[in-house]
Amino acid sequence: MTLSRILYGCLTLIACLGLLTGCWDRKEMDDLALVMASGLDLADDNQIEATLQIALPTGIPSSLQSGGKATKPVLVISAKGKDGLDALGKLQQQLSRRINLGHRGIVVVGEKYARHGFDQILDTLMRSPESRYNSYMLTAYGTTAKKILNASYQMEIIPAIGINKLQYEDFSLSVKMDKFVDALASFGKSPVSGAIRIIKQSSGEQTFIIDKAAVYQRNKLVGFLSGTDLKAYRLMTGNIDGMRLTTQMEPPQNQYHGTITIHLMKAKPKIRTRIKNGKPEVSVSFKAAGRIISNDTSLDMSKVIPLVEKKFSEDIKKEIASTISHTQKKFKSDIFSFGNQIHIEHPYAWKTIKDHWIELYPKVPVQVKTEFRIERVGRTQAPAHQQKK
Amino acid sequence: MNRKKGLPGQIDQKLKEFEYTIDEDISDNLAVNELELRQAFANCSDLIVRKIHVFGSNLCMAVYLDVLVDDTMWDDGLLRPLVNQEAVDFDNSAQLIEQLRYKLASAVKPSVVENLKETIQRIVRGEVVLFVEASKQALSFCIKDQLHRQLDEPSTEAVIRGPRLGFIENLHINMALVRQRIRTPLLKMEKISVGAVSQTDMTLVYIENKAPQTVVEEVKQRLAKIDMDSILESGYIEELISDHPYTPFPVMQTTQRPDLVAASLIEGKVALLIDGSPIALVMPITFWYAFQTVEDYYMNFIFATLLRWLRFLFAFLALALPSIYVAITTFHSEMIPTSLTLSLAAAREVVPFPAMVETLIMEVTFEALREAGVRLPRPVGQTISIVGALVIGQAAVQAGIISAPIIIIVSLTGIASFLIPHPGMSQAVSILRFPMVLCAGTFGLYGVSAAMLAILIHLTNLSSFGVPYLSPLTPLGPSGLWDVLIRAPWKIIHKRQHQIRQKMELEKK
Repeated sequence: MTLSRILYGCLTLIACLGLLTGCWDRKEMDDLALVMASGLDLADDNQIEATLQIALPTGIPSSLQSGGKATKPVLVISAKGKDGLDALGKLQQQLSRRINLGHRGIVVVGEKYARHGFDQILDTLMRSPESRYNSYMLTAYGTTAKKILNASYQMEIIPAIGINKLQYEDFSLSVKMDKFVDALASFGKSPVSGAIRIIKQSSGEQTFIIDKAAVYQRNKLVGFLSGTDLKAYRLMTGNIDGMRLTTQMEPPQNQYHGTITIHLMKAKPKIRTRIKNGKPEVSVSFKAAGRIISNDTSLDMSKVIPLVEKKFSEDIKKEIASTISHTQKKFKSDIFSFGNQIHIEHPYAWKTIKDHWIELYPKVPVQVKTEFRIERVGRTQAPAHQQKK
Repeated sequence: MNRKKGLPGQIDQKLKEFEYTIDEDISDNLAVNELELRQAFANCSDLIVRKIHVFGSNLCMAVYLDVLVDDTMWDDGLLRPLVNQEAVDFDNSAQLIEQLRYKLASAVKPSVVENLKETIQRIVRGEVVLFVEASKQALSFCIKDQLHRQLDEPSTEAVIRGPRLGFIENLHINMALVRQRIRTPLLKMEKISVGAVSQTDMTLVYIENKAPQTVVEEVKQRLAKIDMDSILESGYIEELISDHPYTPFPVMQTTQRPDLVAASLIEGKVALLIDGSPIALVMPITFWYAFQTVEDYYMNFIFATLLRWLRFLFAFLALALPSIYVAITTFHSEMIPTSLTLSLAAAREVVPFPAMVETLIMEVTFEALREAGVRLPRPVGQTISIVGALVIGQAAVQAGIISAPIIIIVSLTGIASFLIPHPGMSQAVSILRFPMVLCAGTFGLYGVSAAMLAILIHLTNLSSFGVPYLSPLTPLGPSGLWDVLIRAPWKIIHKRQHQIRQKMELEKK
């Protein structure tokens, strides 16, 4: 190969590089405003108020910058606009650094806005190439997104990272943006998201809690699931990581409280549908297994396992049935995606009912069957504090 | 003779005249011979011309260069036996020469010369030429002073397990070191001299039936084509007979270890030992050779395989780590985990330069430190490490000129480049690192992958004496894979080599 050929090759390569690059987006990291979380609220004048929580790298303590005055690790700013991007544009005018959504892990929607419906924002969130689908969707419970993002959090330097970790560990319910929009876009499924609120500790410090699920019908918030309802929802989605169930096995006595707690190890929900006289019916069968982690009764676990299994099975059945009826009567929202199941199993029947599925759903009869198995009882049979006879 | 253009014309002319005048037979007159030689060696203070009588009164003349001849050998091995001969009368000088050759056959290797030019060449090589009165023949005795240092451990290719002997500057001893390891007459050592003025000796070493005849012929042809005044080191030859002189990648193995040369010869390679250079050349080689050390074959094969992969990984890091860092931090910050992004951003907060400039500054500084470390006299060497580590490493970060992650990246890259056993490959990687950083700084990961692709295309185009550089991976051949990506146990390597040889023989028929 001659030198001139090499030279021409290099030149062509460089020319290609120059012509093929679609976007010139060289930005030094210290020129970026790294958005950690964003919030959307409906302002009083029906405008949209966007809030951004931006990390300030200078405020993050490191070994190099020990001492000196502590600066705040985050900057929270808000602006109103006709839509999300309009507000974002106004926010950019306040910022010396370019807004970068690459690290946004959390999108919070205020309750008021959620109840009003937020289709237009979802389009922005999905369309912009900068925003990532794997951000967590959260609905503020009883408050605005602005307040949530302004709250401080002790455990993490940046509150948004705290929320992100809460969601990542999945202690209650975590829904990412793509899953949320996917549910929103399908007829046979209603979206849910985690619901976040601020609580005050006894010490006066604020902290977040995500102990509810926001239930949507189409794009509007219709209510929240909490307590046993949320638990039953998690059981039905098979998301049982670290979940414990407690049941009242005996009436309380002096020595014993009469409760047994199990740690769930397996859960296998199964939804079957039938079309009877042109009308859909749903039967849910739920199989679960667990291990006993606490026994506060007078019973010897080696002898009463079938009894305990039956009790738990009934408990779970009751909880699931009541949650389903809640969603049917109170929310009229098919969060268990029964509709999708009908679509899969009876595609032709689904075509006729999918348009009025929302009205049909509350009237669908649902049968619940549960089965519970205890796999291990732990290291002792009788309760540890039982007196030997 | 066709001289190079660059040589000044005057010297050129002189050399030509000189070659012309002395190209004649030896005279039967001692005085004429002496005159010719004294003219040829004018102003050479180390030329000695001694007249002696042998076998009684037969006049002879010994001519040699004092500095090249071993004094004790001259005294005890040549002069004493010559002078102490009993007086004999000879009918003619040919008989005298015959007698001398016979009597002195012991240690001094006599041989007959008839041409004056050859005589001069023998003298400059350290031989003693004995002219006999009234004879057109002269006798040449090889009593060269073996000027060489002690055999030593090669400092650049140290091993934990394995022989400690390395080549030295003496061709003779280097040849012996190879011969000692392969004891068969099939081991061929062909002597070639190259260089119009320096007349450097070199030996082409190969094992007959193992080394492909085509490669041996090719090497010989390329050596014959060399038109240089002097060859002072094997580096000259490496560059002059390379298939691709314009590539940064090495297409020949350079080694100081006789055991490596022996192992390569057994694999069917050709080696070139060059007088005056402790570095032998082994050819042809492939890309993968640069990542193997001779020690791989002395230690546990599992660990050797692990080491080999470690070298591949770090070679990649040495080439691409700074550019990947630059590309990701300036173009694709969303690719980094959030918490890492924040700490990187915090580190970059006070730094005035863009990441690419920072990286280039530190890479250049590192290369400078490395070079300074090689050149500095040993007592001063410590200064460099102090200056390097403290001033540049710590102070620059504290002063906020360079960000701390860059220091980590550059030092990791530095360590990585030292993991590549072949110094030529290590240099190639160091050179290519800079264009890679530039590509990364202007086009991001897109530029990095384009640069990598360009390097890959270049590598596939290379060949070493007709062997594709990336073989046996591209073109895929089953033969060497056992010894490229892994170091297979010896039994398997050996079996494989046999199978390949049988297959090749079958194909020949």
